[in-house]
Amino acid sequence: MTSIPVADKRPHATAHPDRAGRAGGRPGESGARNRRILARTVVGLLLAGYGLVSVYPFLWMVSAAFKDQLEVVSGGHLIPKNPTFDTLIDTWNKLHFFDFFLNSLLVTLYTVVLTLVIYAAAGYAFAVLRFPGRTFLSRLFVSLLFVPGVTVMLPIVLLENEMGILGTHWGLVLPFVNGGAPLSILLMTGAFSAIPAELRDSARVDGASEFRIFLNIYLPLAQPALITVALLTAIPTWNEYLLTRVSLNDQSTFTLPLGLQTLAAENVPHYNNLMAGALIVVIPVVLLFVCLQRYFVNGLVGAVKG
Amino acid sequence: MTAAPRPTTVGEAGSVGKGRTLPAGAADTAPGPGKRSWRGTFGGEALSGYLFVAPAVVLFAVMGLYTVGYGFLLSFASWNGFMPHWTWVGLDNYADLLWRSPIYAPRVRSAGLNTLWVMIAVPVLTVMVSFPLAVLLNRARRMQAVLRSVFFLPYVTSGIAVFFAWQYILQPDGAVNLLLGQLGLGSLQQPQGWLGNPDTALPTLIVVTVWSAVPVSMLLYLTGLQTIDRSLLEAAELDGAGWWRTNASVVWPLLRPITAIVVLLNLRDSLQGFQTFLVMTNGGPGDHTNVLGLEAYSLAFLKQLRPTLGLASALGWLLFAAALVLALINLRALRSKT
Repeated sequence: MTSIPVADKRPHATAHPDRAGRAGGRPGESGARNRRILARTVVGLLLAGYGLVSVYPFLWMVSAAFKDQLEVVSGGHLIPKNPTFDTLIDTWNKLHFFDFFLNSLLVTLYTVVLTLVIYAAAGYAFAVLRFPGRTFLSRLFVSLLFVPGVTVMLPIVLLENEMGILGTHWGLVLPFVNGGAPLSILLMTGAFSAIPAELRDSARVDGASEFRIFLNIYLPLAQPALITVALLTAIPTWNEYLLTRVSLNDQSTFTLPLGLQTLAAENVPHYNNLMAGALIVVIPVVLLFVCLQRYFVNGLVGAVKG
Repeated sequence: MTAAPRPTTVGEAGSVGKGRTLPAGAADTAPGPGKRSWRGTFGGEALSGYLFVAPAVVLFAVMGLYTVGYGFLLSFASWNGFMPHWTWVGLDNYADLLWRSPIYAPRVRSAGLNTLWVMIAVPVLTVMVSFPLAVLLNRARRMQAVLRSVFFLPYVTSGIAVFFAWQYILQPDGAVNLLLGQLGLGSLQQPQGWLGNPDTALPTLIVVTVWSAVPVSMLLYLTGLQTIDRSLLEAAELDGAGWWRTNASVVWPLLRPITAIVVLLNLRDSLQGFQTFLVMTNGGPGDHTNVLGLEAYSLAFLKQLRPTLGLASALGWLLFAAALVLALINLRALRSKT
């Protein structure tokens, strides 16, 4: 909007490009308008086209999840001929996806809660408190970003084997929490740094303890960052497959990705059940995203810029 | 930086204070107690600092430092995971992987070549798709929010579930072949399936990787586009530059820092990531889609009793070295921009 007065000062300016069409009076105006409509249409088509590419695998995932075994084997159409809920219900009940779902939920919940508790505190220390070794420690955490996951995965499994937690959910949660350290610390430190120091100073004069200041002043103010960290932790945890696959052995501890893997590893995979399971994995994440989209976007941009 | 000795709100804060014995007036006027309490605060501050980072540091010491050190040592040893003792072999693992072993060196070389293809193709294609997409999306007014969510779906759900869905539609009688037939492009159909044909497997996996990399890149471009001063674009249009020229010679150069970030993010992911490959082809057919990360993973976990754990660690550290080089380039590239 500020550009309009500037444009008015120049003799050749046609103000805002959008308004040019309505200004009228100049020759060739309707031709320009037609071109603009054409351009709009082409842009719309291109965007819709890529939108279709984005959702294409999901369309078939949903389609297969509502087909019966016979129809899914015969290939065929996107729209199921005899749509049925039986596939989803069977997958949920008989193929233990209910148990896998609960396991996934537990692992994700533990990971998110621990991440929030541990790295909100650490972020507070790095952003607000001054202590010898602060810079060194924060750099140490960020440097963890550069160690490829596959490099530490083997030692983690060997270590957990010795500690006796390999194959348990805690054996997944602890490395997940630690793996999220760089990103969570980055985001929390950023959020706490943006809070004016005067708030803490006056609370201190008030006699509030450090913990109280953290709990009652800083945490509530950093709520958006906490939600972002929770989301960016929850989703990779929910989907995690690489470490989970080599950690868990007992089917009663399996998470959803491993449940899918066992279905896919059958000699002749039943794609309708597999896609029903995939749908069960995907739906909670999509719901979270739809509800909390703006935290995602802020978090991702913040994470990359940092 | 918080060295401002006295907050100006002392009187006010003191009057609300609960546990503080010193009257507000005294704190205001007497510099002595103020100074002492500052020093005391600092001592307490360091202590609370350590307390606040302690949980993170303890976890990091066990899950981070210990495992990293352990893995580093293991890369100089030969072990199958069950024998009571390691056999120290010095740099043998590295030599075997890089040139010496007739079994592993060729595998690493072909996996390295595949990884190189991925590292070239994925960043280039991702930029080629996500930049125009962001420019177009930035123009769309009404539908922008909806479309952005739709475009974001591949990121949100990127994970094993979606890779199985891709596997499903890439089968011989899957949806992609079906679509090609319906479009009259039957000659492009892959009767062995897109992942079953050795010639199409790697390009197909690259396309799937790009598909899941586009959302974040597009989002970064979009935020970049929204920071560009509109008057700059208007000026270009007034100078007679068409929409195409404006984007090619004004917008694209302005967003070069974002392109640098996008390229480096994707380079890193292409170097280290292998989940798509593990889930969709597990390196097949015939190692045509084996990549370095996957090779390290299968050396570590899928070789049963053979003593390949040291080799796996060594390969992991070679990957780490490559990632470090990338990170240094990254740092330099970002620094030269500012």
